[in-house]
Amino acid sequence: MALVGLLQGCKKGQLGDGAGTGSGERLSAFMKRCEDEVRLAVSEAHGRMDLVKVPMPKEMKGSLAGFSAGSAREASVNRFGMAIDLDLCNGCGKCILACNTENNVALVTDEEAARGRFMHWIDMRGGAPFMCAHCGDAPCEKVCPTGAANHTPDGISAMMYKRCTGSRFCGANCPAKARKFNFNDAQELGLVRKLNYDVPLREKGVMEKCSLCLHRLQNDRMRFKTEAAIAGSNAEWRGRGVKTACAEACPRNAIVFGNWLDPESPLVKAAQGRQLYAPRELAEHDPAVVFMMGKR
Amino acid sequence: MKVLVAVLCLFCAFLTADFIWSQGETPVRTGVSGFEERAGDGVRAGMESRGLESRGVPFDHALHGDSIGLDCAACHTGSKSGARAYMPAKSDCMDCHRLPLTEKPGIEKLDSALADAPEHPWKAVSQLPDHVVFHHGVHSAAGVTCADCHGGRGAVARAVDDREAIARDARNVPNYERNVYGGLKIDMKTCLQCHKGETFKERNFKPAATYCAACHR
Repeated sequence: MALVGLLQGCKKGQLGDGAGTGSGERLSAFMKRCEDEVRLAVSEAHGRMDLVKVPMPKEMKGSLAGFSAGSAREASVNRFGMAIDLDLCNGCGKCILACNTENNVALVTDEEAARGRFMHWIDMRGGAPFMCAHCGDAPCEKVCPTGAANHTPDGISAMMYKRCTGSRFCGANCPAKARKFNFNDAQELGLVRKLNYDVPLREKGVMEKCSLCLHRLQNDRMRFKTEAAIAGSNAEWRGRGVKTACAEACPRNAIVFGNWLDPESPLVKAAQGRQLYAPRELAEHDPAVVFMMGKR
Repeated sequence: MKVLVAVLCLFCAFLTADFIWSQGETPVRTGVSGFEERAGDGVRAGMESRGLESRGVPFDHALHGDSIGLDCAACHTGSKSGARAYMPAKSDCMDCHRLPLTEKPGIEKLDSALADAPEHPWKAVSQLPDHVVFHHGVHSAAGVTCADCHGGRGAVARAVDDREAIARDARNVPNYERNVYGGLKIDMKTCLQCHKGETFKERNFKPAATYCAACHR
């Protein structure tokens, strides 16, 4: 409670005078712009998804490209992912807004918006949300010259923004084009505000994409490990109870977040007996974010 | 039995009297007043160095730590289990300083200083960047002691009381590897050395994560 109060307090102080954004815009006005942009993105969404059947994701198949030194040492019991229920999703776009405010995703200029080029980590494709699939054998990570795109043992394709030099190789090599590049200096243009203090703002010239709400998982992992150590228990962290912002915001619970390797996870329970799909171009790369439709 | 109780009482009374008396004899230190001027030059040379910005309350770590049986977490709440260690507010000081200690002349001075102090006399000048995750509690729970990163207890005391000694130390160390507490300057290299098991070998810590997203976001 105290922490929530503190965060709220910080937000108030920060947003009241518009400090840090270079603009005196009120929070309500900024939020209105965010909502308008999401509405525009949903209404103008085009592109289709060519879905093919995939089995339920298991341990990662890839070689943990980029940063295998630390990962090899600790074989993880987790692989985080999501399943999007296409039978429930009606494409309302609330997940996009929730994601934008959770991850401080920048707005774009009017010209870019007119061309349908948004910074959103979730796109509407064929009437359903589409985000980075956190492929076990991720093509984007293999071409990163600086190691900024790398995998965690928990199956998250993570971005280290401070390492990114903006070569954009990863974006070019992603078959699903799930990555977005910061062409603008969003802070300078007043296109972004630090609504969530847990997520850093991205600079100009940096690639970004869905992080599976990495900050929530990190915070939960630290909390869990502290409590386990104090209690003297040897329990393994499974990320239970964590939800991504989009999964939390979905009014129809069509997005389920969880741990593919944990039989207790709501994700495994939801995907049990369902037919899973992935976009054709990603299917061979062992995606952790999949779509559910109908019974198997 | 009665004799034993009487002896115990006498012993306790002696301890208390000795403590109060020694408090009276030792003038309350106001040595922090020079900190602000000197903080600029030698002490905060490293980008990652953390500073303690005192706002006028005379404070002596040596009088508040082990000597009266308090560990760091008593005032720096959260350091043992929370994500971050907090600085105490004035109300935390007043929890203890309402005791009859005020009858002694030296303490009256402290009392008036406390009364005049702002609600939050100390400000943590934390420079942890927002793309770095550091959970204070998880390190403490894993067996890392305060002194491992912040320097020995003497170092913390010196940090507040004897800025010159710290600056002198700093000049003797090549590349200035000391933080304001007299401990090692904390940067990613320091973190990684311990996480890889290169330092603190004798302590047998559990292997720590070294993949990027364990500590970065």
